[in-house]
Amino acid sequence: MNDILKLIANCVENGKIDRNTPYPPGMKGQDGADELTRLALDSGIKPEQILDGALVPAMAVVGDKFSRKEIYVPQMLMSAKAMNGAMKHLKPYFSTGETKRKGKVIIGTVAGDLHDIGKNLVAMMIEGGGWEVIDLGVDVSSEKFLKTIDENPGAFIGLSALLTTTMENMKKTVAAIREKHSGLKILVGGAPVTKEYCERIGADFYSPDPQGAVNYLKQFAE
Amino acid sequence: MNDSTFKFEFSDLNLDVRQIEMVMGYREGESHEAISDLIAGALIDAESFCELKAEYRIFSGIEFNPSEKSVKIAGLEFSLKKIVFGQLRKSESMAVFLSTAGEKIGEMSRKAMKDGDLLQGYIYDVIGSEAADGASALMQEKLKMAAEMEGLRITNRYSPGYCDWNVDEQHKLFHLMKDNFCGITVNSSALMSPEKSVSGFIGIGREVRFNKYTCGLCDMKDCIYRKIR
Ligand code: B12
Repeated sequence: MNDILKLIANCVENGKIDRNTPYPPGMKGQDGADELTRLALDSGIKPEQILDGALVPAMAVVGDKFSRKEIYVPQMLMSAKAMNGAMKHLKPYFSTGETKRKGKVIIGTVAGDLHDIGKNLVAMMIEGGGWEVIDLGVDVSSEKFLKTIDENPGAFIGLSALLTTTMENMKKTVAAIREKHSGLKILVGGAPVTKEYCERIGADFYSPDPQGAVNYLKQFAE
Repeated sequence: MNDSTFKFEFSDLNLDVRQIEMVMGYREGESHEAISDLIAGALIDAESFCELKAEYRIFSGIEFNPSEKSVKIAGLEFSLKKIVFGQLRKSESMAVFLSTAGEKIGEMSRKAMKDGDLLQGYIYDVIGSEAADGASALMQEKLKMAAEMEGLRITNRYSPGYCDWNVDEQHKLFHLMKDNFCGITVNSSALMSPEKSVSGFIGIGREVRFNKYTCGLCDMKDCIYRKIR
């Protein structure tokens, strides 16, 4: 059983989505994350074993390599694609509640800002860390965050901004969330954001890259 | 010198796979075959997805205020801050510019991401950024030639939001660029639309100097441009 989990993890690390994925050259024509996950489920391996024993560790390896600048965004995204190839077989178990993820993370780009690429990368890596991600998109008002928090009590919050001006709206959103939910953990990031700024506006955690957020969240996993 | 508008062809940018890879972070000798292939394909798509436009307007009678590190253009005072002020202060006139790669490349990027293909979306995004910046560079070349015809020189280009110059000052800049040819608008938080757009100043005069960007002056230690420029 361990063998197939190792194979799935290897596919995710190398961006091998399915049989048709032509790379890496050495794995041409072989099954990818998609087929192997189906096979694993059919042979009785539990979805959570696939999630925690293959996908999460593989994405952690990928995220760490990215933090150490051994790989760059494109390879991280290739791995994400392979992860999604596996994830699609697990999603039915998530939606029935049969398989639980580590918790929920609500993420969005703050009001007045339309930049989403960084936020999307973070959302994808957090999902790869075994969390359920609720992506509210761009230009998200404080009200929208608050409403989604009400619908998902106890969720973690991730805020992104591109400019120093929109970063001010991040401050407003943090204040609005704090007013109603003092205990929620708020993560912030984006090009102009710094650790100092994070502290100044009363957010809980800043990371310049997605893996930092995944590592931070680990301690709160259910 | 006259105000001018430009349309450029994507091929004028001479973008190649290597340059896109460098912006993505790949160093000398590093690449990934599958990704190089995707970039090559996206560069072909981008020929029809990018609509490169640029415009500059020349303002004379500008006044510098050394104690405030500011410049007054058409009655509007721009607080340039130390670094940009130092680069522009000898200008006799100012070219205020805008450039854009158009809306479509951003749309295609967002569409790809929405359809679950983050990688394709990211590649279009990076190409769009390079195209917007490249359109400014081409516009700057045109300005340089026009200036040289009159025996004048130009500075490098400087944008609000860089080197301490507050990004909010874009609102005043857009006052000077009403009904601009590029069709760019700016929202209340100083974000331009289309997203792949650049705004800024280029100084013109007999005494000005063209200085390369010196990353040492800026405090963005993680900037991708620091590594490649
Ligand atoms: C490429 C680029 C451009 C491109 C494209 C911009 C775009 N929005 O698509 C072009 C050339 C068009 C451009 C234009 C401008 N730019 Co620009 N640009 C950049 C640059 C170099 C990279 C941005 C990028 O796409 N990075 C790649 C993505 C994947 O990274 P990311 O979004 O930052 O996300 C990562 C992290 O931040 C983090 N993260 C993001 N969100 C979150 C959330 C959480 C919770 C966590 C934990 C982590 C996290 O993880 C992500 C993955 O690693 C940055 C500098 C830099 N090195 O970051 C400047 C930068 C963003 N630009 C800046 C500025 C000022 C501008 C302009 C205003 C300049 C001008 N006057 O024309 C315009 C604005 C454009 C507009 N639409 O309004 C400033 C913004 C700061 C400020 N002063 O407000 C920056 C920071 C540069 C600087 N030195 O100051 N720009």
